[in-house]
Amino acid sequence: MAPRPVLFKCLMCGHEYDGMYDADNVTERTCPKCRSNSVRRLPAKKDK
Amino acid sequence: MMDVGRHPNVELMSFSEVESVSGFVGNFHVTVRKKARYVDPSECTACGECEKVCPVAVPDEYQQGFSSRKAIYLPFPQAVPSSYVLDMENCLGNNPIACGKCADVCEKECINYDDQDELVNFEVGVIIAATGMDVYDPTEYDEYGYTRFDNVITSMEFERLICAGGPTGGHFIRPSDHESPKSIGFIQCVGSRSKDGRGNPYCSNICCMNTVKDTLLLCDHYPGVEAKVFYMDIRAFGKGFEDLYIRSKEEGVKYIRGIPGDVVEDSQTKNLVLNVENTTTGKIEKHELDLLVLSQGVIPRRDGAQIKQLLTLSSTSDGFVMESHPKLKPVDAPTKGVYIAGCVESPKDVKDSVTQASAAAARASILLNAGKTKIEAITSNVDIEKCNYCDVCSKVCPYNAILSADKKTNKPPTIIEAACAGCGACAAECPQDAISMRHFTDEQIMAQVDALLSVDPHKHLIVFACNWCSYAGGDMAGTSRLQYPTTCKLIRTMCSGRVDEKFVLQAFRLGAPMVLVSGCHFSDCHYINAVHWTQKRMDRLWNKLDRLGIRADRLQLEWISAAEGQKFAKVMRDMEEKLKQVTEEEIEYTMKKLEEEAKKEEEKKAKKAVKRAKVTQDQEVNA
Amino acid sequence: MAVKTKEPEELRIGVFVCECGLNIQGTVDCTSVSEYAETMPDVVAVIQNKYTCADPGQNEIKKAIAEHNLNRVVVASCTPKIHEPTFRQCVADAGLNPYLFEMVNIREHCSWVHQGEKDFATEKAKDLVRSGVARARFLQPQIEAEVPITKAALVIGGGVTGIQTALDLADGGHKVYLVEKEPTIGGIMAALDKTYPTMDCSI
Repeated sequence: MAPRPVLFKCLMCGHEYDGMYDADNVTERTCPKCRSNSVRRLPAKKDK
Repeated sequence: MMDVGRHPNVELMSFSEVESVSGFVGNFHVTVRKKARYVDPSECTACGECEKVCPVAVPDEYQQGFSSRKAIYLPFPQAVPSSYVLDMENCLGNNPIACGKCADVCEKECINYDDQDELVNFEVGVIIAATGMDVYDPTEYDEYGYTRFDNVITSMEFERLICAGGPTGGHFIRPSDHESPKSIGFIQCVGSRSKDGRGNPYCSNICCMNTVKDTLLLCDHYPGVEAKVFYMDIRAFGKGFEDLYIRSKEEGVKYIRGIPGDVVEDSQTKNLVLNVENTTTGKIEKHELDLLVLSQGVIPRRDGAQIKQLLTLSSTSDGFVMESHPKLKPVDAPTKGVYIAGCVESPKDVKDSVTQASAAAARASILLNAGKTKIEAITSNVDIEKCNYCDVCSKVCPYNAILSADKKTNKPPTIIEAACAGCGACAAECPQDAISMRHFTDEQIMAQVDALLSVDPHKHLIVFACNWCSYAGGDMAGTSRLQYPTTCKLIRTMCSGRVDEKFVLQAFRLGAPMVLVSGCHFSDCHYINAVHWTQKRMDRLWNKLDRLGIRADRLQLEWISAAEGQKFAKVMRDMEEKLKQVTEEEIEYTMKKLEEEAKKEEEKKAKKAVKRAKVTQDQEVNA
Repeated sequence: MAVKTKEPEELRIGVFVCECGLNIQGTVDCTSVSEYAETMPDVVAVIQNKYTCADPGQNEIKKAIAEHNLNRVVVASCTPKIHEPTFRQCVADAGLNPYLFEMVNIREHCSWVHQGEKDFATEKAKDLVRSGVARARFLQPQIEAEVPITKAALVIGGGVTGIQTALDLADGGHKVYLVEKEPTIGGIMAALDKTYPTMDCSI
């Protein structure tokens, strides 16, 4: 699967930011705001 | 150097790099890339005829760029192996029509423009990483004018200028006018003990004594020369070091306590004027010097990442390699059968490097002499009864230690015990719970979760910590006496990749307000990339909690290295803050919800079992 | 391979609480932890020591294994990184499979990081011991696989350290592969003129 743009959310400070996700090449995530690693890849929003 | 080149037991592979390392203690498979040298070192007699005819001249790295070398060159006269090497990047081209002069004059015919990199494979029982260090580049300290003023040099450049084998034949001159400098200054701690974000915060260990040595060389070669050393502290702590320092002072070298604020060049004389606050007298002083030497610090190797990854070495916060134990196992790497020695571990001088080298050799000899070793019984097992041949396990395994299952031929997955390192990623990922880890079984870990939460569950922060990094980071916090709240209760697994979804859900089901999963930074993972599975699983878990209406941020994830005691303590304090925000209603809801989920899951399983039993029955009837 | 136990035997757990001088005892009330351990199911012996890792402490473990016919041993002391091998050997000497031993870290993870919080730290130590005992109930004897050691070494880096390591190993009769990135060995040392403290030539 090719890398795709996703939305990340830091579960420590709540900061949300855009990033890329590549299932074949997982990289370490760090919140750019608070440096926590509790960074969740938010599931893609379904079309309403 | 010569001894090692001709030792019958040493196979010297120069101009080579380790490409890959696999296997385990006693049985490492190594692939080394022998880079194309274009000169056959076994034939080359270092006669030097090729060098004479080579038309290319480039700066000589060995002489710090003070002189030039040819495209075909001997790195330095005492090089081992004593063989020329062709620098293809600067060669006029391996097309003989373009040049080809060197091959024409080589009597031994050992120059081959078509030489290729060669991969060599071999097996070893132990590995010693002695990859060394780099020196700090003082360019960013612009106030010293290293790149702006001719007569500001580094300590490495000083070495070449004072050396009889150097570009000037040992005549110590300054770059601007090639005159012998009469007054020479040294600035200490350039790039070391820095607090302003430039350079490094640590002490580079060797620079004080290196400068003391330099001043003694100057006084010896050029009596009457004026030498001044600008310093914060002189650290002359080793055996015989204080004597050298005293000797240097007795020779008339001036030691001035204070680091210059700036350096100005006299455009006419090219002399340098330093402004410095002498912190002993409290006065601002001006010093005019013919030459200024920046005593540059030591840094971890710039190209060190690859070896660290190949040998699963982790770094301390200063970037040097972490040892197994700072006092008791200073040359052991965390991976069994791997040792570290020299400046890869921390900045050190020749004596300390040699001491560690012998220590590492002795430690490695223990295994080599024993001829065998035992492997911790923490490997994985497949329960074939439970397995449905989905083959997830073989895809998860970072070591390729699981031979694929095959549904068609009813071939279950097979675990190669010697290759299994015991991370447990397969056990956590197996959808059928068919894989168990010896000594870290599901029931053992679940029992810990249950026991911790059997008393005052809402008071506990359940922390899953990997053995190598996070648990050790907790140890580091302890050794450093860093204080944090008592709520956290650690459960150790070998790798965070072992942390099964059900462990986390069980903790929440029993009333834990918060759960933290912690493991190694990706670059430090002791199981190649098992930690990737941790992150993927966390995404799944967060989604699941979300679906169930449980706040996802009650489950946290942190990568904490063995050296990050500070981070460990900070994370525990942050968790405490989060924990305080979890309400009793939330916990109650979570417990109820997960209880329902667990029941549903069980019903599903029961249905499946009935179905499966039916299928088997039908099969038997058909047979 | 896990050793198959013939029949489910009765659990007989021994808990050893270490004071580590004042390192643990200074913050954690070890007596209270010991008393708590005594109340746990399957725990048949609880012994408190000043230094469990020292010979007298280890002898207590061996003695208790024999006296109480222990089949699981839990030591609450420091990090397993330091003394797990020590205690595994100790229980093995007493005839117990070393994998029937469990360690609980009440020093690095408790007393040293909760100084001045004696009550809370003691409660936490009890929690950790409870967790360790729970895990111990499910411990199984294991046999460690033995692997041969290939009698050769790889030394990465041909600076002064790598050269010395290679020479020491080679002089000891071992085959050594010395891999150096640059065209020659010598590393940074070779670029130095003289080296302290002897002030002699580097090469």
